This record gives sequence, C-alpha cells and structure tokens, in this order.
Amino acid sequence: MELVVALGLIVFKVALLIAILLLLPLPLTWVERKIAGHIQQRMGPMRVGWHGLLQPVADGIKLLTKEDHIPTEADRFLFKLAPILALAPPFVVFVAIPFGESVSVLGNEITLYVSNMNVALLFVFAVIGLEVYGVIIGGWAANSKYAVLGSLRTCAQMISYEIPMGFAVIGVVMLAQSMSLLEIVRAQADVWNIVYQPIGFFVFFVAGLAEAQRIPFDLAEAEGDLGAGFHTEYSGIRFAFFMVSEYVIMLLVSVLTVILFFGGWNGVLIPLPPLLWFALKVAFFVYLFMWFRFTFPRYRYDQLMAIGWKVLLPLSMANIIITGIAFS
Amino acid sequence: MSRAQDMIGTWIGWTFFADLAKGLGLTFGYMFSKTVTMQYPDKEKWLPYSRYRGHHFLKRDEEGEIKCVACELCARICPCYCIEVVPYEDEKGNRRPIKFEIDTARCLFCGLCEDACPADAIALGQQYEFSSFSSRDLVIGRDDLLAKPGKAATGGGVVAARLNTENDVLVETNEPQGYNWWRNIRRR
Repeated sequence: MELVVALGLIVFKVALLIAILLLLPLPLTWVERKIAGHIQQRMGPMRVGWHGLLQPVADGIKLLTKEDHIPTEADRFLFKLAPILALAPPFVVFVAIPFGESVSVLGNEITLYVSNMNVALLFVFAVIGLEVYGVIIGGWAANSKYAVLGSLRTCAQMISYEIPMGFAVIGVVMLAQSMSLLEIVRAQADVWNIVYQPIGFFVFFVAGLAEAQRIPFDLAEAEGDLGAGFHTEYSGIRFAFFMVSEYVIMLLVSVLTVILFFGGWNGVLIPLPPLLWFALKVAFFVYLFMWFRFTFPRYRYDQLMAIGWKVLLPLSMANIIITGIAFS
Repeated sequence: MSRAQDMIGTWIGWTFFADLAKGLGLTFGYMFSKTVTMQYPDKEKWLPYSRYRGHHFLKRDEEGEIKCVACELCARICPCYCIEVVPYEDEKGNRRPIKFEIDTARCLFCGLCEDACPADAIALGQQYEFSSFSSRDLVIGRDDLLAKPGKAATGGGVVAARLNTENDVLVETNEPQGYNWWRNIRRR
C-alpha cells in the first residue's frame, strides 16, 4: 500500500512538473515581449486581452493551426524526431532539481523534488548535453544550408561552453562536499556561494547564456545571417517545440544559477516562504536573461570561441585552484 | 590624468564590466520610461495640423452654393490626371460642375489643385482614413466631396479613437501640442 502511495506521488509530481514546464513558456513569451517593448519605448502586445495577456494563447492557437510543412528534400524521419529530441532533455533535467525542502499537506510531509540523487549535478550536465542532438539532427534533416550552418554553430558553441560550465561548478561541489543539489543548497544556509565563488558564478552564468542560445551568444539563430538557424525550415507545432525547449533551458539555467550560487530557497533578511524566495530569485535571473537580450549586440563567431576557450576556461580552472588552496 | 593612468582606468573598468553595466543601466532607464507608442486604431488617434493635405473637399459660398466654377484648371494642373470636371449652366446662369470626380486611388496629394483654383473652391482637408477594399470606391463624386471634412482648425493633438473611424473624423482637440509634440512623449 505504501509503495502504491509513493509511486502515485511520484507520478503526480512528474505530471505536475511537466504541466508547469509546458505552460510556463506561455507567460514567459508575453513577459519577454513586454520587456522588449518597454526597453525600446514601445508597449509590446496590447490588443489581445488585458495588456495583451492572452497573446501567448493566440500565438499558440496560431502555431497549432499552421501548416506543418516538411521540405521535399528533408529526411522525414529525422525531421520529425528532432523537435522531440530537443524538447525532452530539458524536461528530464528537472527531475533532479529540488525546489525546496518539503511542505506538509494534510499532515504528510511532501518533498519538493522528484528525486534526491547524490549525483544530481552530474546528471544535469549529462542530460542537458543531449539537447545538442535535437539541434544537430534538426539542422541536418531539414537539408537547408542555413539550418546546417546554424546547427554546426550551435554544436560547436554548446560543446565548447559545456566545458567551462562544468569546471565552474567544481568549486561549488568542493565547498559543499557533495554533488547532490539538495546538499549544495543546505551548505549555503549561512553564506551563499556567490561570496566564495564570484569567478565561478561569472563563468557559469556566461556559459549558461551561451548554453541557452541567448543574446549575446545566439549565433545559432542569428536572424541577420542565418534566417533562423537550425529551425529555419520548421513551422507550426514543431517550431513551437523548439521554442518551448529554448525557454525551458533558459529557466533551467536560471534555476541552476540560483541553486548553485544564490542559496536556493534560503532567504535573506525578509522571512518569506522558501518556495517564494526560490521563485523570486529565478524570476530575477529570467529577467536578467531578457534584459541582456535587448541590451547587448551579438558576438562574432570567432569572438565567441575565443571567449569560451581563452577566457572562460582558464578562469574556471583558476577558480578551482583558488578554491582548493583557500578552503583546503 | 596621464595617458597611462587613463589606460589603466579603462582596463579596470573592463575587468568589472563597467561598459556592459552602463549599457544595462541605460536600457533599464528606458524600460521604466514613458512609451512613445500611439495606440492608433484602438485608443488614440493623431489629429493633423491645418497644413496637412488629406482628403479633398469642395467648399460652399455664403448662400450654400458650390464655389466651384468648373474652370477645369485643377484637372489641367493635376500631375496624375485624377480630376474630371464637366461644366453646366445652372438656373441662375452660372457655370457650375455637373460632374466633379476625383480618383483618390491615383491622387498623390500634392495640393496643386488647391493652388490652381481661382475660386478657392477645392482644398485638401484633414481626413486621412479613407482606405477601401475596392479601388472603385475611391472615385469620389461631387456631393461626397462637398460633405468631406475641411481643414483642421487646431491640430497636433491626440484624441480618442475607435476601430470604427467613421464617426470620429470630425473630432477637434482642445489642447494643441505644438510643433514639438514629440518632445512631450519622450522620457523626462
């Protein structure tokens, strides 16, 4: 009986997580367009619903009813497979992410995470690396020069930025003596990691920007020179898959930044519910992503590679050495 | 400050992303500034100045008769030949147009007809919302031209607008904002 309850709870949590992650990009697109508009002294969407609040719904209906076009020269099987391959890994990663300790519902303690893995950080990096398959297969299957160039760029970028990203979190792991995200957050109960790991945070966040394909590192879908990168040939619901995947990754990088460097659900000064603290911090980083997008221009491709290999990688290695010497 | 110190200062600035922070600060300021968007068909609408060259209209004299004497000078000067005037003699023995048609689909709103008119009968008014689904509807006859709104008395204001623009054509603003209207909607 207990096993059934536990299993049911896990299924419920996973279903809830999937529902939230699928629905969250809708308000995020609205927020992003509003921020874009106001930074450029425009208003953003205003016509559908109150201040355009229903705009994402209208966009969703539009995308669902659009023609699902597959180019004649495309590899049909891979073309259909790629959006799913791009969408699944960011969702899978959230299994390992804790959103808080636990809440009591009807006298039962319910943990706010699906599973507490002791190698959660490794799992996150391993699974998020799989997202690159969706991108490269999508670009290849479309059989279009823009898509192939975009997917090649994305691959090179993701692989080179995963290395400094991985190195940057080693400092955090050294401080917490654990790879479990839950333990890492507990270790930050008094002092957040950002105090000890400013370089690590910098490297992680910049690499995260590149990982999420956001400006200033959105070379993969540089509209000016590549159409739309690897999803140039996609339309309708398959295009929506790529968009959802992009937003979930943005969310994931924000969540990871908060968990690894900004104390997770540990509050400071103002006593708020832990989950609210967590949400506020994540919201701030999501805002930061969008703020960056409408402030900075795009890097050139060679600059992107130079930043990754010549700046971020040495910095992250130096961070490991400094952390090792200072906290041994 | 010497040049070497300048360079060191620049380098220190770059190390702590002073340039990026400056850009972020600028966009943050703009984010909470007033928007310059005019929500044109939904809520607000721009009233043109009296110098604006919108849709043509024909004038009447004090007795309510059409001022036009059908001299056809406007038709002659029109660079795109969009005016067609046919004169007739009315019961008082005056020369008047029996047909006065302007093909606004071809008109380029240069205002030469207004300049050429010896009787001050035709002018370009304030109406600018006359798009149509059929180019046939854009051929405007004499009686329609007489009913069109005239020049704006005051201009350069923003008035309420509805998607149905038919009824809002004649709105006049009480608060003309002047030639530098755009300065008022920039951020403080």
